[in-house]
Amino acid sequence: MPLLTRIVPIALVLAAWELVARTGWVNPNVFPPVTEIVMRWFAMFADGRIYAPLWGTLWRALAGLAAAIAVGVPLGLLMGRVRWAEWFFEPLFSFGFPLPKIALIPLYVSWFGVFSLSKVMLIFTDCLFPMVLFSYHGARGISPMYLWSAQSRGTGRVRMLWRVVLPLSLASIYDGVQVSVVVAVLVAVVSEMVSGGGGLGELMIRSYRYGDVRTAFATLVTISLVGFALFKLAQWLRGSLLHWHVAEA
Amino acid sequence: MKAFPVVKIIPLLLLLAAWQAASVLGLLPASVLPPFSDVAVSLGAMLRSGELMANTLASFARAGAGFFIAAIVGVAVGLLMARRRAVERAIEPILLLIYPVPKPAMIPLFMVWLGIGDASKVAVIALACLLPIVIATFNGARGVDPMLIWSAQARGTSERRLLWRVVLPAALPQIAAGVRTAIAIAIIVLVSSEFISSEAGLGYLIFSYGGVGADDAMLAVVIYLAALGFLLDRFYLAGLRRLMSWHAFAH
Repeated sequence: MPLLTRIVPIALVLAAWELVARTGWVNPNVFPPVTEIVMRWFAMFADGRIYAPLWGTLWRALAGLAAAIAVGVPLGLLMGRVRWAEWFFEPLFSFGFPLPKIALIPLYVSWFGVFSLSKVMLIFTDCLFPMVLFSYHGARGISPMYLWSAQSRGTGRVRMLWRVVLPLSLASIYDGVQVSVVVAVLVAVVSEMVSGGGGLGELMIRSYRYGDVRTAFATLVTISLVGFALFKLAQWLRGSLLHWHVAEA
Repeated sequence: MKAFPVVKIIPLLLLLAAWQAASVLGLLPASVLPPFSDVAVSLGAMLRSGELMANTLASFARAGAGFFIAAIVGVAVGLLMARRRAVERAIEPILLLIYPVPKPAMIPLFMVWLGIGDASKVAVIALACLLPIVIATFNGARGVDPMLIWSAQARGTSERRLLWRVVLPAALPQIAAGVRTAIAIAIIVLVSSEFISSEAGLGYLIFSYGGVGADDAMLAVVIYLAALGFLLDRFYLAGLRRLMSWHAFAH
């Protein structure tokens, strides 16, 4: 669909919103006009008060995600190639994947404290499941031809994982990263809403308590943009790093 | 869609046995993690006292209401989008706009609009469940073999009858997959919203027991919630298999 026809419905909805809020049908402090939200969004960047919460959410999400990749990829590859690892871990991870890890917030707060560590650990836990499962499916799906030809040249087990299994699983691993990036931002924001500690989630809750709906809306826009930008970044990385990949051809 | 093999439970049982052994041998202090036997005893006590049942009902009323609103609106909108180009043109861009917004982050806004009670939670759950159902229904209805539609139309089937008797049944496998995603999302948003504000429900129970340091009771509710989510998914799949036994995709 061309861009212009896409913009028309969005513009109509925003115009109706603006109109409803301006004519005083609704309380503008409860449902503020779009233009005021946009102005608040710019103001929060101009006076710099968005940067500290933005940075707080961003580093927690990325730290948790990085830890999940560092642990999840080797574990998933191992499960894909080693029988006993698959037998033990596969049921645990497929059973745990759809469960709400957010329910662990109080437990993690008692283990890791109320500050950043408990949030990063929760993001790590939540992202670990997609990272392990996508790496596992990537390693399982490798054509045995590649493994046989490497084996016939006497490639060792560790070298095999590192030089053959990992590169051939990358397409699936990057799919896992794309899923995990969205999860990471979501869990960061929810854990900040529940147990504070700065970040965009806490800013949402604080704006709610002060009845500052404009700031809450502007923060929501920022949260959505962070999630969207990280997702696009993961997508771009996948495209630019995987152009050589057999599965991409 | 296969039944869950019993062998797959063994690793979970091993993990629970290791937890219990570590507690009994003193390797795992109760302040870090109470023994699994304590958690099981708490779970039994809460089941008997009716505390779990009452809070399960409170949670399920919220999640169920939000989910059913999303299912009815979502399937209707998805079908209309697939059958009417104008509806697709009007709604698709708006869906693209809402899609990247993390729905639980909207909880504070809905609390301003609808108060801190059930209405705001139901609304966020409905919104979060809506998108996967609309998208799945749209893709399913769009993907219906045109031959089926032409042959029904050639016999003079009205548009309404066509939707009910041809498009909807043919799109059912895709809709069912979207609904399954929506159920998992509903539970996540439910627990998040109950953590932020509530006086009843499973999320409230976990949060309040965690807050007073009653770790065995808190873990009992977490495990109960996990088991409930798992059983819900299994029942859904089993029900679906019966419902769609006629369908080519089910075999």
